[in-house]
Amino acid sequence: MLSRVADSLYWMSRYMERTDGILRMLRINYASSQDDIHEFSWKPVLRIFTYLDEEGAAAISRDTRAVLQYMVTDKENSNSVLNIVTHARENARGVQDHITKELWQCLNDFYHTIRDEQLVRGLHTDDPVSILDVLIRQGLLYYGITDITMARGEGYAFLNIGKFIERGVQAADILDIKFSDLEYDLTRTDTTYWKYLLLSISGFELYLKTYRTGFDARNVVEQIVLNPDFPRSILYSVNRLQLHFQRLKDELNREGYQKLDFMIGKIQSRVRYTTVDSILQEGLHGFLKSVKDDLYEVGTAFNHHYFAYL
Amino acid sequence: MQTQTSELLNNYNVDPRTWDEMYSSSTVREQYKGVVDFLRQMSIEELSKKEELAKRLFMSQGITFTVYSSGEGIEKIFPFDIIPRIITAAEWTYIEEGIRQRLKALNLFLKDVYNNQFILKDGVVPFEMVYSCPHFLREMHGFPVPHDIYVHIAGIDLIRDHDGTFYILEDNLRTPSGVSYMLENREITKRIFPDLIPKNNVRTVTEYPNILHRNLVSLSPRQTAHPNIVLLTPGIYNSAYFEHTTLARLMGVELVEGRDLVIDNHRVYMKTTAGLQPVDVIYRRVDDHFLDPLVFQPDSMLGVAGLMSAYRKGNVAIVNAVGNGVADDKAIYTYVPAMIRYYLNEEPILKNVPTYQLGNPDEREHVFGNMHQMVIKKTNESGGYGMLMGHTATEEEIDRCKVEILKDPRQYIAQPIISLSSAPCYMNGRLAPRRVDLRPYALCGPEGIQIVPGGLTRVALREGSLVVNSSQGGGSKDTWVLAV
Repeated sequence: MLSRVADSLYWMSRYMERTDGILRMLRINYASSQDDIHEFSWKPVLRIFTYLDEEGAAAISRDTRAVLQYMVTDKENSNSVLNIVTHARENARGVQDHITKELWQCLNDFYHTIRDEQLVRGLHTDDPVSILDVLIRQGLLYYGITDITMARGEGYAFLNIGKFIERGVQAADILDIKFSDLEYDLTRTDTTYWKYLLLSISGFELYLKTYRTGFDARNVVEQIVLNPDFPRSILYSVNRLQLHFQRLKDELNREGYQKLDFMIGKIQSRVRYTTVDSILQEGLHGFLKSVKDDLYEVGTAFNHHYFAYL
Repeated sequence: MQTQTSELLNNYNVDPRTWDEMYSSSTVREQYKGVVDFLRQMSIEELSKKEELAKRLFMSQGITFTVYSSGEGIEKIFPFDIIPRIITAAEWTYIEEGIRQRLKALNLFLKDVYNNQFILKDGVVPFEMVYSCPHFLREMHGFPVPHDIYVHIAGIDLIRDHDGTFYILEDNLRTPSGVSYMLENREITKRIFPDLIPKNNVRTVTEYPNILHRNLVSLSPRQTAHPNIVLLTPGIYNSAYFEHTTLARLMGVELVEGRDLVIDNHRVYMKTTAGLQPVDVIYRRVDDHFLDPLVFQPDSMLGVAGLMSAYRKGNVAIVNAVGNGVADDKAIYTYVPAMIRYYLNEEPILKNVPTYQLGNPDEREHVFGNMHQMVIKKTNESGGYGMLMGHTATEEEIDRCKVEILKDPRQYIAQPIISLSSAPCYMNGRLAPRRVDLRPYALCGPEGIQIVPGGLTRVALREGSLVVNSSQGGGSKDTWVLAV
């Protein structure tokens, strides 16, 4: 596979995973903003998914419609859903002969949907949830079509590598910022706070089934970092990353393969063979940051060993 | 409903000085009867819905081009008219033979002009005509291209005069575009008019990518069962990018950009996740002058440094061959009938439009005296750029044009304005005649010339307009060739 094509598939997939993360986060936090929570603020969401500085975030953190506008349709925000869907589509456009026609059409439709001014105007005037739902559904179509139509070859491996690097980073980010918001005080048992966090990453029901003792910050950490069956946990993401990476094993690029195999294996062991206690002992922030940095490094190594074409 | 449909057809006013593809005097031609009967059963609302559906299909499939204005891309579709253009079996046989003959001669001309130059030495085509052409590339001189084929893909433009005679308007022998529209327009017709195609005995066009792929495989310089074939595109910002992806997908070949390729020791490689892979055949959609910065335009980012040397060593096949522009130059065009007589000893089947060389003082004088009946074209421009239509131009425009011509007369030709035949188009709830041309696509491989029964019909959507180029507000139609 052409290096440029692998690169584009990887980024297309990362952007789509990010789109999904942002939209889910917005949908649940919007609900939370309507719930009578005394201190609700958009600040953590803005910190996870935008590059706004402290001041910029503070300026809109209490203005729900402004946040929605900024994060979904703002052209100046390089991480707005509009911009990242556009990037995903541009990447897809350059590799149309490597994705299925259905997949291309789905991304193309998504792009035209998000650019439909009449639709997104609803974010300001109407019920934003129904608009977000339309967009989330477009993203789900993307996942479904990828699963059903894409051949399980090298391209599929790069799609998944991008997806799970992005997801792992996102999980670490979300957890880190949500806890920093509480100044890493694990004794807080603010039920609604944890509930909305779990809802925003579709982990609420699993939590209820796993833990019968109500909301405890330690359990939240355990589920989001260590639960191998929770599709948005760090461990799950790293396991999947490893699985899809192994399909790239090829005599022709042995050096690159060995290097990355080592790096990914190292992250995997680090996450897999730890406990909540030892994470907390090490310091939650430090742990999450190092996982995130390692994942970024994996991305850089892919760039170097697989995507170098310029 | 009955009144609506008669409205649909009754307002169809054919210009009496024009050949209409559907009507002969006031009766519907045989080949259009099936479609007209079908349309009669439709209400205007239904037809408008079909038109809407066609637009939506183009949009959602991304069959679009992007117009960049104020830093933001706007997606547009090439206008598509839902009423097919129909060609009879007899007409097609004639066109096919004519194109086959013409291509044979043009291919021999290219081989000759880049090797022994017999045709120049025998005085059939003047030396200065060839050497003054900017597309005549000395880099191509004296090296054998695989199977002696220069023109692997040709898109020959045909028009019809008021009596229905076909004329060749242009030979596109470099990187003719539009074939994806031939394929996609057919797919759209299948969606909007179910069952209509089989009922009318329309020949299929879907073989095109298979034939092209087979030809490309046969050109590989390496003796291998699976040569690496690539389609070289200028990239996603090119207006024909959709076509490049479509063809790459339909043939299952790699779509590459110049930056994906590298030359090592006169061999072409592509950069892949598993290291460098050899490339055997390049179907390029990049113009000659951008192909190799070491030989042609030095600042080109679209090509590959060293490509020409790999080509000349015979390590890679390039499709179409480099330097074909000398054969489809608008001034050389005049000599194509002479080439056919010279190389094949045959009379040309398809006629040329009479053409005046403005480099020739007598012909120039004649043209200057009759500017209103002439169309003036630059010899090395395409896409409807650099054109002046004498019948609509103002005196000032004509004077300005004359001044331009006198600066470098070789760069211009003039042709009497040919009216172009008209075909029915669906325009705001009624059928109206609009001018059309026809571009069939011919593929030449070691086994001969094959012409896919169909082509691209371009249509001038503005009433009375004679310019069909998409850059000048033209659209396209599905083109049917009937089997019987």
